Amino acid sequence: MSWLLSLYETYESNLDHVGETALRNEREYTLLPVSHTTQNAHIEVLVTENGEFHSAKVIGKSDASTLIPCTEKSASRAGAVISPYPLHDKLSYVAGDFVAYGGQVKGEEPFETYIHELQNWAESPYGHPKVIAIYRYLRQRTLIRDLVSLSSTPVLAVDENNRLIEKWDKKYETLYPEKPTIFGVVAGDQTSAFVRFNVYSPTRQLDDVWKDKEVYDSFIAYYGERLGDEDLCYVTGKKLPSTDRHANKIRNAADKAKLISANDDTGFTFRGRFVQSHDAASISYEVSQKAHNALKWLINRQGKTIDDRVFLVWGNDSLYIPDPAEDTFALDPEAMPEVARMSNTNEALAREVSKALDGYKNKLGDKTKDHFQPEVNILVLDSATTGRMAVLYFRNMNKELYLDKLAEWHTSCAWLHRYRKNAQGDFVAFFGAPATRDIAFAAYGPRAGDKIVKGLMERMLPCIVDGTRIPQDIINSVINRASNPVALENWEWEKTLSIACALINKHLSDKKEGIGLALDENNDDRSYLFGRMLAVADVLERRALGKEEKRATNAIRYMNAFSKHPERTWRVIQESLQPYQARLGAAATYWTKIIDEIGFKFKPEDFNNKPLTGKYLLGFYSQRHALYQGKNRDDAAEAEETHIEE
Amino acid sequence: MRNSVEFSVYGDYALFTDPLTKLGGEKLSYQVPTFQAIKGIVESIYWKPTILFIIDEIRVMNAIRMESKGVRPIDYSGGNTLANYTYLKDVHYQVRCHFEFNMNRPDMEFDRNENKHHNILKRSVQAGGRRDIFLGTRECQGYVEPCVFGEGESFYDKYGEIHLGTMVHGINYPDETGRNQMEVRLWQPVMKDGVITFPRPEECTQVRVISEMKPKLFNESNVESAEQLLASWGEEENR
Repeated sequence: MSWLLSLYETYESNLDHVGETALRNEREYTLLPVSHTTQNAHIEVLVTENGEFHSAKVIGKSDASTLIPCTEKSASRAGAVISPYPLHDKLSYVAGDFVAYGGQVKGEEPFETYIHELQNWAESPYGHPKVIAIYRYLRQRTLIRDLVSLSSTPVLAVDENNRLIEKWDKKYETLYPEKPTIFGVVAGDQTSAFVRFNVYSPTRQLDDVWKDKEVYDSFIAYYGERLGDEDLCYVTGKKLPSTDRHANKIRNAADKAKLISANDDTGFTFRGRFVQSHDAASISYEVSQKAHNALKWLINRQGKTIDDRVFLVWGNDSLYIPDPAEDTFALDPEAMPEVARMSNTNEALAREVSKALDGYKNKLGDKTKDHFQPEVNILVLDSATTGRMAVLYFRNMNKELYLDKLAEWHTSCAWLHRYRKNAQGDFVAFFGAPATRDIAFAAYGPRAGDKIVKGLMERMLPCIVDGTRIPQDIINSVINRASNPVALENWEWEKTLSIACALINKHLSDKKEGIGLALDENNDDRSYLFGRMLAVADVLERRALGKEEKRATNAIRYMNAFSKHPERTWRVIQESLQPYQARLGAAATYWTKIIDEIGFKFKPEDFNNKPLTGKYLLGFYSQRHALYQGKNRDDAAEAEETHIEE
Repeated sequence: MRNSVEFSVYGDYALFTDPLTKLGGEKLSYQVPTFQAIKGIVESIYWKPTILFIIDEIRVMNAIRMESKGVRPIDYSGGNTLANYTYLKDVHYQVRCHFEFNMNRPDMEFDRNENKHHNILKRSVQAGGRRDIFLGTRECQGYVEPCVFGEGESFYDKYGEIHLGTMVHGINYPDETGRNQMEVRLWQPVMKDGVITFPRPEECTQVRVISEMKPKLFNESNVESAEQLLASWGEEENR
């Protein structure tokens, strides 16, 4: 399915959410009704059901967000264009006595246009009683008079000549001992205040006008009849009223970029056989509105934004779908530490991952409804310039297949990680795949810019969703950073190391040479064996140094050189081990024996100075893990903790 | 059949631009090629105004994947700009198509020799096409080889149905329809186990008239018939 159609269908299947406000990261968001938008209002005016003035107040910042109806023209109005919103608007549009109180208007009076359009709506067959009441009041042209002469505290402030005060000044303190609150909420001029209307009834409890679904529907029905000519819609294939104005503010309120724009008449984007943009494609007003509104809602609800690049994953039938960018720990934080403890096999992990994903699979629903198959959509958006936005990646795939691919990723790119904290804030070990964000930091360092991170995250998507190979440059970069522990803080190196191991393991299993986390004593790959020797040297020296001494071991310090010239560097490491062997005395024989065993495994021609492959990190990690696990579990836990805490 | 041919076409990238993203210039590819895109490829392999190509079906061999690139589009009014184009990556299709004589070109009647055209077409496929092949846009080079339709393994074997939404089917030109206007056809393709079966252009019901247009004139004065060509080769040999 195409991305616009997917968004349109998402809107259609979530109609019950329309107009409902929700919160995420302390920001309000709504699934907007068609032909509606949001604005921050400054003044609220209450009108009785008979169309008389009741009361008014200044709205606080927290309550300002208001859902207002809008037309195509008003949604994209700018500069001197006179194009009122249908119901709520700025003072210059809604106040019939604006000029009388010193308001400046250009050309024809905006109020005339506004009240005429409001009249059309109120008197149309779709007119709503509340809209009629507001219309009756406003046509009396007394709004500013009522706001100024409010008995308790006037909402608007006028000077001695009965003209609206533009900017608050000390000289007005004779008139208003306290600075009127309106100056606190309006950014510029008092005359640019945005007014919203509500209907008051002494007997009944009424919904606020901007939260009333009946009022939404009234406007949608009224406006639906006034749309432009019908044309074939390129998204639905139906004859519907079309539009050439599409939404902006997709990622946030300040975002000017449009996904569909059509004003490039000078470049050769569509010209050639087509003369006007309308010739090249057409899209219906309804689809454009619904698809864009659904997209905005989804981004606010569950999108992930990095440096203005939006990563969005959603399902057509059940909105939330596990994000491919997350690590295995995020799938099910409760179960993952269990896996790490029980055994370190891929089977155990596969079981846990599929358990975590089964919940989503069970919601697959009725498969017989063929047209509406459960599908997952993955969408990445970004803009190269301020005005236009592009779809950088779109996948629409069967949900079952997606979850299978996700499970495959989590089990094939798996290693033992210790950098995640649980709900109590303690570090916990988990066995699984790292998050793509963490891969970026492992590959490019913790100070990698957002530009680099978002680029890597986009490149990793096909590896997860399609099972393609991880780009070699990412793997190389991670291996190089993991081979240089002296340049990193200890916790950071441990994190980089485990992520490097995960990537190497994925790379190897793509070539069908995957190695489990459990130490493989029969593996006679020279890189793997060299890695194991390094681990034994590290553990031996660590033990000899004792718990108090935190300095890096010789094995760690020489690791970088070791990865490039293993034979030569091994001699240096072994020589510097001797004092520690002596200090440990008989206790050292356990480790010395292991070194001998590993040395025995080498094919004679393999013990040379050829640089090591990434496999040595696997050998190092597995051997170290085995040593800490094997001999004394309590010791192991302590020793490993010191690695993390440092 | 004496007028049909099967071939496979592949390339590293493809851009079958979704017209909705063409307006602003941030191009995004459709997930599969349109009838018109494949027709263009076939016409690059071999074409004459005498014949009209009908694409019967295509088979998508590789998984549909996308990759975006930063592109600097050429701005004819000068200036410098940047756009993100999103391409299909690593594409491979098998195509089954056939040709018919274009009855809207009575002026080309002298050239209607099915056997001859079929043989030229088959040789052209064997040679990888007469002109360069591109997958949707010029920057996406493609390669053509003869194949047996349905042979080999596709990612979408036993995959089931994929509904692709509304797509452009192709463009009606005046010399193909007999009407002096340019029209765009839309349809709702469904991919079954990787195979998309196209309806014939005249079977498409969703047609949108774009503009007036007149067919280009071809006749004996600017086209050489296949017989003439063969005859001239014969002369060379005899010489």
